[in-house]
Formats: sequence, C-alpha cells, structure tokens
Amino acid sequence: MLTHVIERILQALAVMLVMSALVFVGVYAIGNPIDVLIGPDVSQDIRLDTIARYGLDKPLWEQYFTFLDRVLHGDFGRSFVFGMPVLELILSRLPATLELTLAAVLGAALVGIPAGIYAGYRPDSPLSKLIMALSILGFSVPTFWIGLVLIMTFAVELQWLPAGGRGETARLFGVEWSFLTPNGLSHLLLPALNLAFFKLALMTRLARAGTREVMLTDTVKFARAAGIPESVILRRHVLRLISIPLVTVFGLEFASTLAFAVVTETIFSWPGIGKLIIDSIQSLDRPVMVAYLMLVAFVFIMINFLVDLTYFALDPRLRKGRA
Amino acid sequence: MTDAPLLEVRDLTTQFFTRAGVVRAVDGVSFCLRRGEVMGLVGESGSGKSVTGFSIIGLIDPPGRVASGSVKLDGRELVGLPADELRSLRGRVVSMVFQDPLMTLNPVLTIGEQIRLAIEAHRSMSAAEARRRAIAGLAQVRIPRPEATVDFYPHQLSGGMRQRVAIAIALLHRPKLIICDEPTTALDVSIQAEILAEMKELVAELGTALIWISHDLATVASIAQHVAVMRLGKIVEAGPTLDVLTRPQHAYTRALLDALPSRARPGEFLLRGGGVPDAAPPARKPAAAAAPVQGAPYFVADRVSKRFESRPRALRALGQKLGMLQPPPAVMAVDEVSLTVPRGEALGLVGESGSGKSTLGRMAAGIYAPTSGTVRLEGLPVMSEGAEPKKLTTRVQTIFQDPFASLNPRMRIGDGIAEGPLAHGLVDKSASGAYVRDWLAAVGLDPAFAERYPHQFSGGQRQRVAIARALAMQPDLVICDEPVASLDVSIQAQIINLLMRLRAELGLTLIFISHDLSVVRHLCDRVAVMYRGRIVEEGPAGEVYDNPQHDYTRRLLAAVPVLPEAAA
Repeated sequence: MLTHVIERILQALAVMLVMSALVFVGVYAIGNPIDVLIGPDVSQDIRLDTIARYGLDKPLWEQYFTFLDRVLHGDFGRSFVFGMPVLELILSRLPATLELTLAAVLGAALVGIPAGIYAGYRPDSPLSKLIMALSILGFSVPTFWIGLVLIMTFAVELQWLPAGGRGETARLFGVEWSFLTPNGLSHLLLPALNLAFFKLALMTRLARAGTREVMLTDTVKFARAAGIPESVILRRHVLRLISIPLVTVFGLEFASTLAFAVVTETIFSWPGIGKLIIDSIQSLDRPVMVAYLMLVAFVFIMINFLVDLTYFALDPRLRKGRA
Repeated sequence: MTDAPLLEVRDLTTQFFTRAGVVRAVDGVSFCLRRGEVMGLVGESGSGKSVTGFSIIGLIDPPGRVASGSVKLDGRELVGLPADELRSLRGRVVSMVFQDPLMTLNPVLTIGEQIRLAIEAHRSMSAAEARRRAIAGLAQVRIPRPEATVDFYPHQLSGGMRQRVAIAIALLHRPKLIICDEPTTALDVSIQAEILAEMKELVAELGTALIWISHDLATVASIAQHVAVMRLGKIVEAGPTLDVLTRPQHAYTRALLDALPSRARPGEFLLRGGGVPDAAPPARKPAAAAAPVQGAPYFVADRVSKRFESRPRALRALGQKLGMLQPPPAVMAVDEVSLTVPRGEALGLVGESGSGKSTLGRMAAGIYAPTSGTVRLEGLPVMSEGAEPKKLTTRVQTIFQDPFASLNPRMRIGDGIAEGPLAHGLVDKSASGAYVRDWLAAVGLDPAFAERYPHQFSGGQRQRVAIARALAMQPDLVICDEPVASLDVSIQAQIINLLMRLRAELGLTLIFISHDLSVVRHLCDRVAVMYRGRIVEEGPAGEVYDNPQHDYTRRLLAAVPVLPEAAA
C-alpha cells in the first residue's frame, strides 16, 4: 500500500516534469508575445529592452531552466496582461470554477445515480423509459445550445434567474464564494445546470447498466431469500457493487470539468479559470498558459490518485494480503 | 402437535414466457415434507429442480411465474401471497442456500455486515447485539474463531468456510424449512463430506426440514431420507431414498444410475452411452516428425516444478534489492514431480483444487514452461528452453474442462477444428473440409455441424467438438483436464465412452486430470494422487483404490459419498 502511494507520487512528479517541458515548448512555438505587449509604434530600443526584461532573448533551453528554477521556488512568473503573479491570478479565479464544477458534478451524481438505479431496477416501467430517453437527449444535445436555451427560458422569458456573472459573494476561508448568498446561488444555478446535463446522462446510464447486471446475480437472490427488503438490497448491496465505475467517471468528469468548463463559463460570463485561459490564449499571455496547463495536469493526477484510493476503500479485494 | 405435513406442494406449475413460447419449467409437481425431514430433489440440468425450489420460496424472476398449483407451508398458502408477506416469511420461516458461495455473498461487505442485514430484515437489534448474534451464528456452523471471522470479507475465506457462512445466514431465524440448491457442488470432496456431516447434525439438532437439490445421486443418498427424481419438469419417481436408489421403478432413474461410472466395472462401456456406433476416425498422416531417441521412455516429466510469483513493479523491485521490502510469497504449484507414462497407458491425475494437478497437466501439454525440470516425449523436449519457451511438438494436445471457454465463439467450429492441422501442414486446404467432417463423424456429431458456431451446441456436443479439435492435430498424448466435470451424468457417460473408444482405436496415451475419483477409476489404468504440489501416491488404479497407502489418499477416498448397494 505504502509503496503504491510512493510510486504514484513519483509518477506524478515525472508527469508534471514532462508536461512542463511540452507546454513550455508548445506555447513558445506559437506567436511572439512582444507584439502584444508593446505597441507597433515604439522605438527599436524600447522593443529590445522589453525583450531583454522578460528574458525572451535567451535560448529556449535557458528560458526553460530559469522557469523551472522559479517554479521550484513557487514562482510561476507574472502575467504579461494583468501584471500580477500568475499563481495569485489563477488562485483568485479557481474558487469560482471549483464551486461551479462541484455543484454540477455533485448534482449530476445525486440525481443521476438514483434515477439510474431505478431505471435498472424496473427496466420496463414507463418512468424508466422516460429517464432513458432523457439521458439520450443529455448525451446528444451540445452544451452551448442547452446553455442558450436555459438563458432564453429562465433569464429572458420568465426572468426568474440572472443570465450571467457570479452575483453577490461571501467570504469563507479567505475566499469569495457565490453559493453562500441567496443572490450568488441564483447566479450559480443556471450554469451548474448546464454543465450537469451531460454528466447526469452519463451517471444515469452507468448506474442503470450496473444495476441491471447486479440485480441478476446470486448475491441479490440470496439477499432476497434471506427476506431482506428491496430498498435495503438496493441501498446496501447494489449501490456498493456498482460504485466502482461510478467513482471512476465521477473523478474523470470532475477533473475535466474543472479544467475545461470554458464553454459554459463563456456563455454565462462566469469569471472562472476557463474564461481566464481563453483570454490568455487570445492575448498570448504565456506565463498564464503554462501555469494553467500545469495546474490541469496536476489536478488530473491528483484526482486519479484519489479515485485509486477510493477503490481500495470500496473494494476489499483490491487490498493486498489476507487478514 | 399435529401430524399435518410442514410443506405440501400440489400440482405446482411454473412457466417462463419467452419469445419462442411458453416453457413449462415445472409441470405439475406434487410432494409433501414432514417437519424435520430431509428430501432430496434429483435431476439433470434443465429438469426443473432449481425452479421448483425458487417457486416454493417465491423468487421466480420475470419472465417466469407460478402459473397454477399450491404451496402450503405450515397450513398457509404461499402461492398468490402479496410480495411483502412473502418477504416476511423468507429468511424467517423458509430460507435458501445456493450453489456457489463466491457468487452469493457480497464481496464488498464484511461477513458481519451481511449477517446483520439478514437479522435486521426481520427484527431490530442494536449493533452490538447483532454482532453477538452473528458470532453465535458462525460458531453454530463450526467456523473456527468466529470473533475474527465476523470482520472478514468473503474473499478472505475458503470455499467451504464461505458456504458455512451462507448456511449460518440461512439458519439465523431458525426457519422451519431450508432449501439447499446444489450447496456442495462447487466444493472439494473432503469439504463436501464435512458440510454434509454438519448439515445432518444441524438439521437433527434444530428440527429443520431440508430440501436438498442436487444432480449427484450419491450426495443425496448420504443425507436424504426421501428422494424425488425430476425430469423435464415432472417428478418421475419418488420414495424412500434406499428404495429408489436400489430398486428404481422408472426407466429414467435406472438410466441415471447406470450412467454412473461408480456402478460399472472399470473399463467397460457405460450403459446409456451406447446406441449408434460412430464413424471411424480418419487415417493418420505417416509420422514425419523427428525420429525418437532410442531407448528413452515414452513420456517423462523429470523433477518438474512450477512456481508462480507476481512480477514486482519497479519501486518494489528496488526495495527488494535494497533489502527494505520482503518479496511477496511465491506459490509453489508443483514441487519437483516426476512422472513416467508408457505408450498407450491412461494415467489418472487426481487431487483437490489447488493440488497442482492442472498445472502439472499444463506443463505436460507444453502450455506452461516448468520453472525447473524437463518434460520429454520419446526423448524429445515438449518445450524449447530459453526466456520465452515455445511448444515444439504437436504430438501433445489438451482437452479443457469448459468447451464454451476454449472454443472461439466467433469461429465456425469447422474452421476451429481445421485451424491447427492447416497451420501445421497435417492437411492441405482443399482436403480440410472433408477432414473436419470425418472428425466430426468420429466423435459422433453430424458432419454438417461444421458450419455452426459454438453457442449452437449443447454442453455435451461442445465437449465432443473440443475432443475433435484436439484429435485432429493427430496427437499421440492427450491431456484431458476435467473434461466431464461440467456435464450431466448421462452426457458424462457418453463422453467417457467416446474417450475410451477413441483411445482404443487411435492407440492414444492419456493423462486424465479429474477431481472425480470414480471417473478416474473407470477410465484409467494407473492413478497418481496429488496433494499440495506433490504426488503422494501412485500405482495401478485397482490397488490405489482398494488399498490406499498414503493417509491423504485414504481421507480422499473416505470422503466420496457412495450409493447404497442393492440388497439383492
């Protein structure tokens, strides 16, 4: 178990290192940020001076090692555009995306898993057929279109909910959160709903497939033969047995949404990191791009690691050795 | 106390509504069971014996349902009872034990949690009290150290212990009736003997009635006072066990008994397998292989061992090198075993699961490379040496236990049979069709079946296909790894007859691996008994069976349930 954890941490470090090199080279291969940083009408002297100030005149490998050295000291550089440390910039935007993603993924799991279990438990009932039909819709309709429809319906026509922004926020652990105020919550609802649709469909279908399979096993038959009520069988036996694929997808979806909630954040002008990265790419803000992509790699590795640990908690057969 | 029967089943009919029409899995079954009585329900697969059990307990899954008839338990009608009332009876008044405890216990819950769920199904209890009850329940079924076992997960227990846990759960609420559906079929003979003895004691102690469903007449004979024989959904014969098994009235019961190898003289064709004589196997191609080494014995496995160890991952390997970590224990499946088989002999390899008999068979067949030692056929090695050993000869072939798993489901069986001979030039492409058809005829199948896929065959037919595929490679030595273990007795008899006939006609040498001692006795000239990776006893079949020398062999033979002999 301990060797497993150490191995994963070493793996994570190696992945981060490779990622940093790839991102660095990749980002430096596109465009020249100097043209964005300074106007075309400045003199050649100022131009060269700016290039030297940002260290852009040095060879690529030297720039990379300077960058690595700074990263090891916790310094990801300063944003060209915002003129503030990149880490601070990203961390200021991260909570917005984090709460949006958590709301979407948790909501999808809390609705999708029970719906899927029901659909798997009674595959022939009309409600199950409706659930499955809706889940196909959730898979196939593009996110941006659902977002627009949501805004049209709830913000424009009914005027129940705001169409964009974070609304009022409240402070917790030194960070501003929307979900702590009623107004912020009303701003959170539509984008979270929009992000949740696809995940909801995925969770539902996964839970249904698992439940149908487990319901046919001797484990369930034996539990029924012992007179255990159906609701207990579903909660205690079935839910535990179908949980591993659900946790896997939950983790993957959580990570990918955290990193790539771009479309929804743009539609609902949600000031998260998705919007930040799009803006940075447009203005060739290299330090932000590099730091962001490394953060994404880090998040994926960490979440996968947590998912692995959850496997051990969920399935005793994976723990090594006999008691 | 009244003399009314505990269970009264009358004209029970259970139907399955399928696309192909209505199937009557149980067709007008009637029987009675008194308190504390043990009844055996015997039949081959598809006879409806399990469905009868599920019908009584009210657990028929759609598309099946009890169509008509009555099941009275303690005077109360169960058929047509609302689902919730049925549930409140299950586990409390009537409970059930299934075949494979690995499938029935939930792998992700501890034994204690599973017992608690079963307790809470019928009465509320504090966690501490439930735990006490769970430990007491485990102790009742003779599980050693129940205080520790209660926190185990099913995979940490052996098969026999798992089945004891399932029995403990079935006994929790002191039910009046327990239905056991093939409860010892998945277990080794010695474990089966223990469970049978314990079950008998428990039933006598608690006064519980038992319905023991099994395909194995001998097991049923050792526990049941009454027996009912089922065929195609109907009970064809019922009565006291001794009467039915020693003086069977119905032709089907007689046929079932006659198909048992333990009732025939060794080496004789089993009754019920006879009938149509099969076509002769096709002619062999003259041996083009390398000349045998003169003077070498026919088949020799010389001090072969097989060790299974998991390959450590990078970090763990480093840790082991530095002496910081202990390497995981390796499993010595076969431990320096030597074996010699003369040409034309049939050697039986018997032992319980985990004894290493299959591993030894696979080394003999050139599937596993031995960790040490050599395997030679006529002095020539079966496998090459080196880091990635390859099989060198086609003269050794294997027939596996499960033909469904060993035949490619997406390949026509004709192509499957022709594949090997074509690849090794035993037959050319133009002649392969006729060659396959000849082999199918030789194993008693219609040659036109070559066009079919494996799922279109029954279990017995599939095993015939597997035999044809192995023999089409024109082997001299055939390793049979439990080839009849998953088959019904009458099909088993046919396959045994087929193997005996082909062996005589083709002059084959056989290594026959089986856990079933009676089958081995019937088919083999010599027997080797394996225990924990070693051969503990070896000798002519008759001698080993009649006069076992090793302690383990004696225990093994004593554990086999025997049919009562006719008094006449």
